[in-house]
Amino acid sequence: MNNENIIEIKNLKKSYDHGKIKALNGIDLNVQKGEFVSIMGQSGSGKSTLLNMIGALDQADEGSIQVADKDLMKTKNLNEFRSKEIGFVFQMHNLIPNLTVLENVQIPMFERNLSSTEMDKRAKNLLKSVELEDRMNQTPNKLSGGERQRVAIARALVNHPSIILADEPTGSLDSKTGDVILNLIKDIHQKENVTLVMVTHEAYVANMADRTITVLDGKVQGDN
Amino acid sequence: MSYLSLILKNPFRNKTRSSLAIIGIAIGIATIVGLGLLTGGLKASTESTLKAGAAEITVVQANSGMGIVGSTGTIDESRVADIQELSGVKDVAGVLTTTYMDSNSSGGSFRSGQIFITGINSNKLNLANIESVNGTIFSNGNTNEIIMGKTASENLNKTVGDTINLFGTEFKITGTFESGNIMTDSGIFMSLDTLQSLTNKTGTVSTIYVKIADNANVTTVSKAIDNAYPNELSASSAAAQANRMNEALSTIDTATWAISLLAIFIGAVGVINTMIMSVYERTREIGVLKAVGWKERRILGMILGESIVLTLIAAVVGSILGIVAVTVGLMLISNVGSVITPVYSVDLFLRAFAVALFVGIIGGIYPAYRASRLPPTEALRYE
Repeated sequence: MNNENIIEIKNLKKSYDHGKIKALNGIDLNVQKGEFVSIMGQSGSGKSTLLNMIGALDQADEGSIQVADKDLMKTKNLNEFRSKEIGFVFQMHNLIPNLTVLENVQIPMFERNLSSTEMDKRAKNLLKSVELEDRMNQTPNKLSGGERQRVAIARALVNHPSIILADEPTGSLDSKTGDVILNLIKDIHQKENVTLVMVTHEAYVANMADRTITVLDGKVQGDN
Repeated sequence: MSYLSLILKNPFRNKTRSSLAIIGIAIGIATIVGLGLLTGGLKASTESTLKAGAAEITVVQANSGMGIVGSTGTIDESRVADIQELSGVKDVAGVLTTTYMDSNSSGGSFRSGQIFITGINSNKLNLANIESVNGTIFSNGNTNEIIMGKTASENLNKTVGDTINLFGTEFKITGTFESGNIMTDSGIFMSLDTLQSLTNKTGTVSTIYVKIADNANVTTVSKAIDNAYPNELSASSAAAQANRMNEALSTIDTATWAISLLAIFIGAVGVINTMIMSVYERTREIGVLKAVGWKERRILGMILGESIVLTLIAAVVGSILGIVAVTVGLMLISNVGSVITPVYSVDLFLRAFAVALFVGIIGGIYPAYRASRLPPTEALRYE
């Protein structure tokens, strides 16, 4: 693996429904450490499947995929890999409704054997950085859509991942709130020097990235 | 927040559903506790009849009927001395038993308004299973003194120093006692002479208690009495009576377990249903937990833990419910309540909690396994 590349994908294939649906049909992609890459494509193009492969949420049928020095085709303990290396931001915030904002941010740290004091400290610092320290004891249903997504971003960052994977993080927000969230994500990417891979189908969102990868029918069609 | 506090918090996300599941299991646990308290009380009473000091053999008139309190037949009092002479007999006591209707009382004994009265010589009380008396024992001869069992004392609200009217005569309560035998403790004891005189049965007894010598055999002595007075007396051993009682109790025990198992089965189905619904509703959330790196066994532990939390709460609620049901039930059915004392044993409550834990594990294991095996991508797509 090239020392600069944090993601190296070669001829990656994934099909569903006994091969009838080819979600990925030979993807080749390299992403450098600290890069901000957006993945564009229409619905069903395979962009979310590609994101799931990078995040080790699913395993490919063929090809090779190395992320943060791990060969994901061979790694057995993908939970540990996700816990250490990946932070997910989903289109829907996916916060746990009966837990407070603070508790939601603490959830990923359960697998890291941290003391409750350390968990508290980390979560509070992150909530401060997304300007939600005054809402930390409230449940998600008391928050606006933008606030919920900021909590989700804090949750994604809490284990200090090397890669943030964002799947249409502004898809369920109005444009004004969406811009705030995008700026926050970009700001964190720059400050933390974390690699950011973001799936979107909106060109203006994709244009915020260093590179834009276009996916069509499970293949990379463009790399700008 | 700790993992444990998360497990404790989650079952109450849907309070109505969790409460219904808890009630379902609690009814099963209450059945186990309630029936256990009652059978425990009956067993304790049966065991007390086998106490060392008590008579091993009871002799009644042959072919006589048995009343609630003892034989309804009569035996010539001279037979008491005759039996004392038989080989293997250590001590004998002739007793007269009767019941007295107390119009002023709601009931001190087995039936409302009825008081069991036994006449016996005061130096033979140990043969009737009365080892110690709080106060003093009544005097022999024709006296107006009685001693009263604990249950009768409580139900009649009388104690040492009080008086009670029996057969139109005022009697002084000189002592109270607790033998552990439900029948004995529900009665009044007075001198044999006094009761014979009151009931116009001078020179007769209804039962003879026989204590055998240390080296004698109960069956041999029983047969010797039967053979010595055929068609007149009939001897039966306390052990045989206790065995018959134990057989009946073991039938009750089996029935208790059968009812409990049914209740547990229904409870377990309820828990499975509750937890499966909970897992379905939280499919996407479980996907998120997997995405953030939670191991399968942590998810399994969380769902299983939630199931156990539900059933352990049900165990507490069910135990309280069982105790309340038995207490209220015995108060309402006074004729039974006066003679059965529930036995609160640690074993019984441990058994109830063990059953609850078992239901929690059985009911939670499948939903927990399902949740832990959910593919994260599918879980995250779940609407």
